[in-house]
Amino acid sequence: KMAAVRGLLRAAPRSSPAPRRGLAQSAGTRSARQRREAEEAAPVFQYVGRAAKRKDRVFVWGFSYSGALGVPSFVRPDAGWKKPRRVQPTPYRLDTAEKISSAACGYGFTLLSSKTMDITKVWGMGLNKDSQLGFQRSIRDRTKGYEYVLEPSPIPLPLEKPQQTRVLQVSCGRAHSLILTDNEGVFTMGNNSYGQCGREVVEDEKYSESHLIHQLQEFDSRVVQVVCGQDHSLFRTKKGAVYACGWGADGQTGLGHYNITSVPTKLCGDIAGVNIIQVTSYGDCCLAVSDEGDVFGWGNSEYLQLASVTETTQVNVPRHLPFKIGKIKEAACGGTGNVVLTEEGNVFVWGYGILGKGPKLIETAMPEMIPPSLFGWSDFNPDIRVAHIRCGLGHFAAITNRGELFVWGKNLRGCLGTGRMEDQYFPWRVTVPGEVVDVACGVDHMVSMVKSFT
Amino acid sequence: LNALPQRAPRQQIRFLPAPGKDESKAMELVATRVPMLADHPLVRGPRFRRLKIGAGHRLDTKASGVFVLGIGHGNKLLTYLYNCHLTKVYTVGGLFGKATDDFSDTGKLVEKTTFDHITREKLERILAVIQGTNHKALLLHSNIDMKTQEAYELAVKGLIRPMEKSPPIITAIRCLQFTLPEFQLEIHCLHETQQYLRKIVHEIGLELKSSAVCTQVRRIRDGVFTLDDALLRTQWDLQSIQNAIGKCQLKVQTEIEKTLG
Repeated sequence: KMAAVRGLLRAAPRSSPAPRRGLAQSAGTRSARQRREAEEAAPVFQYVGRAAKRKDRVFVWGFSYSGALGVPSFVRPDAGWKKPRRVQPTPYRLDTAEKISSAACGYGFTLLSSKTMDITKVWGMGLNKDSQLGFQRSIRDRTKGYEYVLEPSPIPLPLEKPQQTRVLQVSCGRAHSLILTDNEGVFTMGNNSYGQCGREVVEDEKYSESHLIHQLQEFDSRVVQVVCGQDHSLFRTKKGAVYACGWGADGQTGLGHYNITSVPTKLCGDIAGVNIIQVTSYGDCCLAVSDEGDVFGWGNSEYLQLASVTETTQVNVPRHLPFKIGKIKEAACGGTGNVVLTEEGNVFVWGYGILGKGPKLIETAMPEMIPPSLFGWSDFNPDIRVAHIRCGLGHFAAITNRGELFVWGKNLRGCLGTGRMEDQYFPWRVTVPGEVVDVACGVDHMVSMVKSFT
Repeated sequence: LNALPQRAPRQQIRFLPAPGKDESKAMELVATRVPMLADHPLVRGPRFRRLKIGAGHRLDTKASGVFVLGIGHGNKLLTYLYNCHLTKVYTVGGLFGKATDDFSDTGKLVEKTTFDHITREKLERILAVIQGTNHKALLLHSNIDMKTQEAYELAVKGLIRPMEKSPPIITAIRCLQFTLPEFQLEIHCLHETQQYLRKIVHEIGLELKSSAVCTQVRRIRDGVFTLDDALLRTQWDLQSIQNAIGKCQLKVQTEIEKTLG
C-alpha cells in the first residue's frame, strides 16, 4: 500500500514552477510559500511600453463667455445637468486635432497653430466681430459668418503651396491677428482702422464677415517673429531689423512720429544697426532685446515703463534703457508693467500695477528683482532657474526649467488659473498636470502648451 | 536609578534614657540623634517606583528610526516641541512592479506591472510636481492672508509653514538611489503618518503608469533630533541616557525659544 501511494506522489506532475529564491533564503511556512508562489504566478500588466512617448496637451483657463477657451459647453451647455461656466478658474484640457506648437491670446480670442504640412494649420476661437479669425462661414446661413466662435475652427489661409509651407508663429492683438509662415511671409487679418494689418486704411470698411486676409512679404529678409500690440504690429527679420505698422499716437510704432502707418516700415533710433533677437509688446509699450543683452524701449511711458531715460509719457523712437542688471535674455511687455529675464535666470520687473514683490510695490521706474526663492529655488533645489517669461495685460507668467508655471498680477476674471479669484501679489504656482513648455497670456484668459509626465 | 546611592535616613532628636554619669541609679534623659525608623530605606522602599515617560511623534511598527521620548518634566518640552511644527526627515525605500493592499511589501498582492519604461528622469519629474503641489498646500494651510506684505516677506525667506493642525504636507522630496526595480527617496514632511508615506510611494508608482510598494520607512530626523543623538537598543542604560539628555538640552531650548518666543 505504501509503495502504491509513493508511486502516485512521484507520478504527479509538478504544476507550479520551481520557486525562484536564493539558496540562503528559507522556504518559509506553508502559507508564506503558497503566497509567494501565488504572487509569482500572478499575471503582469503592461500599461505603457518601453518606448512610450510623452503626449502634448493644451490647457486653457480664464473667462469663457467670449468663446476664447474653445469649450462650447461652457457657453452653451449641451447636456441638461451642465451649467454655463463664466470663468474656468483652473487649467482645463482642450482636445486638439494636432500638436499645437504656437498659441496666442488676443483680447477675447485665441489662435492655435501647428507645424504640420496639412491644409489646416491654424485654428481660432473667440470673438470674431472684426474677422480677426478670418471668415467663419455660418452653417445656418451660408452667406453670413459667425460673430463668436466657440470651438477651435480652422482658418483658411490663401497659401500658394499649402502642403509645402509651415506656420511658425501666431500673434494676436486687440482686434487683429498675424500669422507667420516659413516661406510665404506674414498673413494679417482683422481690424485695419489704424493700418495694423499692413494695408491701406479704407474708410468705412466693414471688418466683420470679411474674407480679406492680407499677405506681407516686402521685408529686408525673412521675418522670424511677429508681435501684436494693442493696435499695432511689429515684425522682426532675420537680419535683426524691426518693422512696425499701425497706430502710433503713443509712439508705439517707433518711427519718429505719432501718426498711423499702414505699411510696415523699418525702425531706426537706438536700434539702427543693432541685431535684435526678440521684440515684445501687448499694450502700447514695446521692448526689444539685442544679441548683446541690451534692452531698447519705445511707446507709451505713462506708467514709468521708460522713465529711466525720459520724463515724457510717449517715446516715438527706440531708446536704449541703461539697466545695470546683467545681460538680458528675454523681455515681455504688459499693459502697465514690464518684465525682463537675465542670463543668470533672474527676473526683474518695473512699471505700474501688481509687480510681484508684495502689495507694497505698486510702481517703480527702475527694475526690481523678484527673489528666486519665490520660484522654488532653495538650498534643497539650487538649480531651479526661470526659463521663460510672458506678460498679459495685467498679469505675468514665468516658466522654470523644471516646467513649473508661476503667475502673478491682477486676477481678471480668473485669468491667473490659481483657482481663486483674488489678485496675486507674488509668484504663485499653477498646478498643471504636466510639464509646461510654453504659455500665452491674454487679457482675461491664458493658454498653455504642456507635455505629459510620462 | 534605584541602585544609585540614596540619601541617608533623616535624623531625629529623641530623649532616650541613658545611664547617668554618676553612680546614682536614676536614669537621665539624654538628647541623642537617632535615625528615624520610618525613613529607613527598607521601610520607605525604592525611591523611583514609576517614571512618567511620554512619547513624541508616532512611529509605526513597520517603520524604524528616531523616536523621541520625554521623561518626567521633559514631557512639557514635548508639548512645546509639538507646537513648534518642525519637519521630519524620512528615508523611504520603494520597489516598482507590485501593488499591494496596504502599500507595503508584506501586504496582499493586488497587481503586478511592468516597470522597464521608468527612468530616473521621469521619477524626478514626478517628484518635482509633488514638491510643487505640496509647497502650494504649505502656503495655503499656513493661514496667512496672501495679500499682506508680511506674507510676501515670509514667503521669500521660506519661513511660511502651518502652525496648527493641517493635512500631511511634504516640504521637500528627492531621489537618493535609483536601480530598477528599487529606489530610495528622502522626504521632509510635516504632520504626516508613515502610512501616508507608503501611500505616496504607491501614488508615485501610479503616476509613472506602473505600480510601487514601500519596502522601508526610516525616520532619520525629528525636529532637532538626528540619528547621531539617537540611542540604540544596546545603549538604553542610565549613563547614556543622561549624556544624551545633556547634549540635547541646549538644542531643544534654543529651538523652542526661536519658534515660540
